[in-house]
Amino acid sequence: MSGLEISDIRARFGHAEVLRGIDCRVAAGETVVLFGPSGAGKTTLLRAIAGVEPAASGVVRIDGREVQDLEPEHRPLGMAFQNFSLYPHLSAYENIASPLRARRLRSQEIEVRVRRVAELLRIGHVLGHIPRELSNGQKQRTALARALVAEPPVLLLDDPLRNVDAKLRYEMRLELPPLLRKTGAAVIFVTQDFREAMALADRVVVLREGAVLQDAPAEEVYEAPASVPVAQLFGDPPMNLLSAHLVPEGNRVRAEAAGMAPSFADLDITHLERPFLGVRPEDVLLASRPAGGAHAEILAVTPLHDRCVLLLRAADGTELVASVTGAAPEPGTFVSIAGARHAVLFDPVNGHRLAISGARTEVAA
Amino acid sequence: MPEPVIRVLRGGALALILLFFLFPILWILLMSFQTNADILRIPPRLGFTPTLSNYVALLSGKLATSSGTLDITFLRNLGNSLLLSVASVAASLVLGVPAAYAFARYRFRLGESIAFTLLSFRFAPPLLVLLPLSLYFQILGLTNTYGGLIWVYQLITLPLILWIVRGYFEDASPDIEHAYRVDGHSWWRTFTRIAIPLARPGIAAAGLLAFIFAWNNFVFALVLASADKQPVTVGALAFVTAAGIQYGQIAAAIVLSILPTLALALYAQRWLVEGLSLGAVKG
Amino acid sequence: MSDFTLPVPARRWRAGRLLPYLLSLPSLLVCIGIVIPFVASAIYSLQRYNLAFPTGRAFIGFGNYISFLSDPSFWNTVEVSVIYTVATVGIELLLGLAIAMLLRERTFLNNVISVALMLPLMTAPALASLMWKLMTNPGFGVLSWAVSLIGLSNFKWASDPHTAMLTVVLVDIWVYTPFIMILLLAGLRSLPPAPFEAARLDGVPARFVFFRVTLPMLSPFIVTACLFRLLDSIQQFDIIYAMTQGGPGDSLMVFQVGAYLDFFQYTNVGRSAALLMVLWVITYFLSDRFVRQWHKLRERRQGHA
Repeated sequence: MSGLEISDIRARFGHAEVLRGIDCRVAAGETVVLFGPSGAGKTTLLRAIAGVEPAASGVVRIDGREVQDLEPEHRPLGMAFQNFSLYPHLSAYENIASPLRARRLRSQEIEVRVRRVAELLRIGHVLGHIPRELSNGQKQRTALARALVAEPPVLLLDDPLRNVDAKLRYEMRLELPPLLRKTGAAVIFVTQDFREAMALADRVVVLREGAVLQDAPAEEVYEAPASVPVAQLFGDPPMNLLSAHLVPEGNRVRAEAAGMAPSFADLDITHLERPFLGVRPEDVLLASRPAGGAHAEILAVTPLHDRCVLLLRAADGTELVASVTGAAPEPGTFVSIAGARHAVLFDPVNGHRLAISGARTEVAA
Repeated sequence: MPEPVIRVLRGGALALILLFFLFPILWILLMSFQTNADILRIPPRLGFTPTLSNYVALLSGKLATSSGTLDITFLRNLGNSLLLSVASVAASLVLGVPAAYAFARYRFRLGESIAFTLLSFRFAPPLLVLLPLSLYFQILGLTNTYGGLIWVYQLITLPLILWIVRGYFEDASPDIEHAYRVDGHSWWRTFTRIAIPLARPGIAAAGLLAFIFAWNNFVFALVLASADKQPVTVGALAFVTAAGIQYGQIAAAIVLSILPTLALALYAQRWLVEGLSLGAVKG
Repeated sequence: MSDFTLPVPARRWRAGRLLPYLLSLPSLLVCIGIVIPFVASAIYSLQRYNLAFPTGRAFIGFGNYISFLSDPSFWNTVEVSVIYTVATVGIELLLGLAIAMLLRERTFLNNVISVALMLPLMTAPALASLMWKLMTNPGFGVLSWAVSLIGLSNFKWASDPHTAMLTVVLVDIWVYTPFIMILLLAGLRSLPPAPFEAARLDGVPARFVFFRVTLPMLSPFIVTACLFRLLDSIQQFDIIYAMTQGGPGDSLMVFQVGAYLDFFQYTNVGRSAALLMVLWVITYFLSDRFVRQWHKLRERRQGHA
């Protein structure tokens, strides 16, 4: 297959297993976002693919050819490092030209390609400067340009937008996907920001403590997280996780918690006691006028972007978070929790997803 | 104590200190421009007509005395010092910089052992190694050869280079080198185009310091070199005990011997603190 | 997609494994070149070995060491070495600390002075000895003349067993105090200014600040400098040999000078090796302490970086 394929990548530092057998495929032209908290092993995985992590083992295939036994300079890939890793004693031009010089292109050819990619990333005017003289945003784009300039079949981008200010970050979030698609490369993009993941990804691979928790398109990871840790990592504010009562209703089951009672189909409830009900704050349905629904007291109100985040205490005492658009209600007032637009049920013992309720996505449970 | 009194006391103390530490150098400098008659005069006078005859005698290699013309080989001692110091430092850089890189970038048991051995012998009494070596050199025919001396001088210069340069490599982030490898360059190009240029200040500092230590060394050449290959430290001593040599020339010889290291020290003073403490303290 | 590819090597084995060993191979050879003579010295120290009596060479175990215990010249060596070490290191520490405190502020003048004070350290100790030998020459030496002005006529400096130690200690102080000064000055300037500013604002007396704040914070540097100098002083050769070759008599017969003369003058290889091994044990112990201290200091520096 063309693109990148990795199997059973392992890495061990001393007694700690940092990567526990990672498998993944990235097709040419596809962007896979590697998502996870710090310490999950994301950078280690990229370094293993690039060949600069001596402690790693496993199989790496690029365009069908095995490269794991090759030195880094023989692997056809481009990498943008988290801290830019620009050559401090060379100009931005020379930094970007470096992969082309390694491939022994002629100077005129190099000039054409460097200028082309620099124009694309809008740093053409600073090519003569050394890294110390560049702003963070310019450094980031220089590092990106260096990774792109030789048009490698595989691109590894390690949180390249991390050290960049908010405005530029937002701009790049819009510009990067078409840019990456045009290169036709198989791209792995690392980030800890789930919104960035949703904006850039064809697929998301959620990594935690060295293991893949879920590998699916972004919407699926958001709507149907495979387990409790995924649900908590992917979403801000994080998904509510409430201990629920199960009430059978014909061939469906209701899970009741905090005044919500979504129903689930195809659920085997034998041996299942008090599962976790996961409801995202924006899926908590509220009615302002108490209309027979359970009353909930608003404990705190926090604005967040275009919505308000409410901390509620439900009638049964549990606390949960809801978010609403529009006018901010006052703390101390009461609302009524009408239900959950979309909910996920998790096994209380192993945290795995059991079922989904609500019509947002057609996904196999 | 009132402020101005403190200031005066402090100034006085510093003046005394400067006097103590700089006086001998200045005095010898003065003496090198004096004729023998002026030197032997008691009480010593600061006013005298300076003469270059001492330096001329040293540099031309000939001294005219009342008992005829003597050959002075001091110039050869200077040449030996220069040759031994430069060659030893050059050899140490060639041997030590790659090794320092290996120690900094790779964790391997042999590296730790080598580094430990070389450092521990930096502090061991040199005669411990030199005295048996003098016996071995006789067997191997290396006594009084430049090659043998340069090799032994590695004991002085190599540990210094290793420890200072290793610190510089350790402080540099390996990610920059990784980026260069991923770009497509071999490890050798990475070493020469990235690692070494970025460690250049450390390498220069280590080299300068090693030169100073090699130049100032005494006991190594005393044990293993004979008259024609001796550096200035040993040569100046021999100078003193030879009959018929004038004190003015001894002074001039000392001045010429310490001039290079003093000049280098002034040039590289920023790095001296780091080097002297093997990188434990920043200058 | 790209229209050029990277060359693929024919073999697939990672040469990277061998690299560190290849790079350090020459240094390894130098190492071996040091270890072999060292082992030889250790062996000689266990032998009765005199170059003048080659047939008498025999293995005598710790005989050399045992005979030291009852040898007055050995104990003289120990005594002289200890006196020299304590005197030089003690005085240099105090003097170096005082100078560093005086030059603490980063002014242009202070920097110029500290650079000027570095010069004695850069002269070869053997040549420094020579300079002082000329200055203390009883005939025309300026120092001999100077002390005669205060009533000490006929002061023999290094020619007199009573004042020889004083003379060489003076030379050592001249050469090495700047080393301590440089180290402690760097240490002083690297201390955080906050505690001192706070003390000044609170009106804390200077003596209290010095003993309770400055000294404790400076102690790692002081210990480092002290160990470094102890290591050097106990094995001092250049200064003493250049001045008097161990004399007059054996009033300056420190370890390395004694071993040198044993080897070259009395051709007693066994005894000289044993003497050096005793010295080596002392320096090994001290250098082990030093390396630990050095690591601590380096970590401290990286912590601040």
